[in-house]
Amino acid sequence: MMGNRRVSRRTVLRTLSALGVAVASGFDPVTPQTAHAQALGQNETVEDAMKRLFGSKTIKDGSPAIKLDVPVIAENGAVVPVSVSVDSPMTSTSYVRHIYVLADKNRIPIVTRVTLAPEAGRAFMGANIRLGETGDVRAIVEQSDGTLLQVKREVKVTVGGCGG
Amino acid sequence: MADIGQVRIRVPSSIKAGDVVQVRSLVIHPMERIERDAQGKIVQKNYNYINKVIVTYLGKTVATFDTTQSVAENPFFSFTFKATDPGLLKVQFFDTSGGRYEGTAEIKFS
Repeated sequence: MMGNRRVSRRTVLRTLSALGVAVASGFDPVTPQTAHAQALGQNETVEDAMKRLFGSKTIKDGSPAIKLDVPVIAENGAVVPVSVSVDSPMTSTSYVRHIYVLADKNRIPIVTRVTLAPEAGRAFMGANIRLGETGDVRAIVEQSDGTLLQVKREVKVTVGGCGG
Repeated sequence: MADIGQVRIRVPSSIKAGDVVQVRSLVIHPMERIERDAQGKIVQKNYNYINKVIVTYLGKTVATFDTTQSVAENPFFSFTFKATDPGLLKVQFFDTSGGRYEGTAEIKFS
């Protein structure tokens, strides 16, 4: 420490004040999330979420094309494995652009939005999600031509995982 | 929680050129949930959770996950990509507190 003579009182104070600003902005209670996070995950009903995501576009039944893999009964709502795979050629002219996963009864119904490129080779996604209580889990697929397809399955939840 | 940010990626042990490969990835992260006070009002704060996952292969983005707090703790994601050339598969996780965690896997053909 004795070698650090060049650290003057002025630089120390300046660094400390800069740190203080950083900490204060990091814990700003008025803006709880980044703009990006706020855009996707919000406290709302699933109807509002769908309206926000897809507007008034019609969503067709996608049960022949979409395979939504969820457990029938989830004992622990904190970790529920979900996977979605879609029949799609995944060429640059016809591919699946987005896969949305929504949980109807969650406080934040939008779970994830997956953006795929044709290089993915297969329209597939898997994730572990949280479920607050028994309810439908939806998979909504947006194809490159804008068509929306949906499937939903009910998952029974023994112990909810969203807490709070 | 010293393990925060540890990324694990699993790829199949043998890959042939042209295969569509399924990859599993995981990051150790608490994925904070919404908290409520005694009156049931949401406590406003900057929740720390993963909100973006980007998968790149040979420098090209293959898949992007935009996630919310409805994703489980220590989030696990699986995805596929088409193995055309040997190279690097990179998975990057971003959280709302500015954290950035990444893991890579070398794709080799056998």
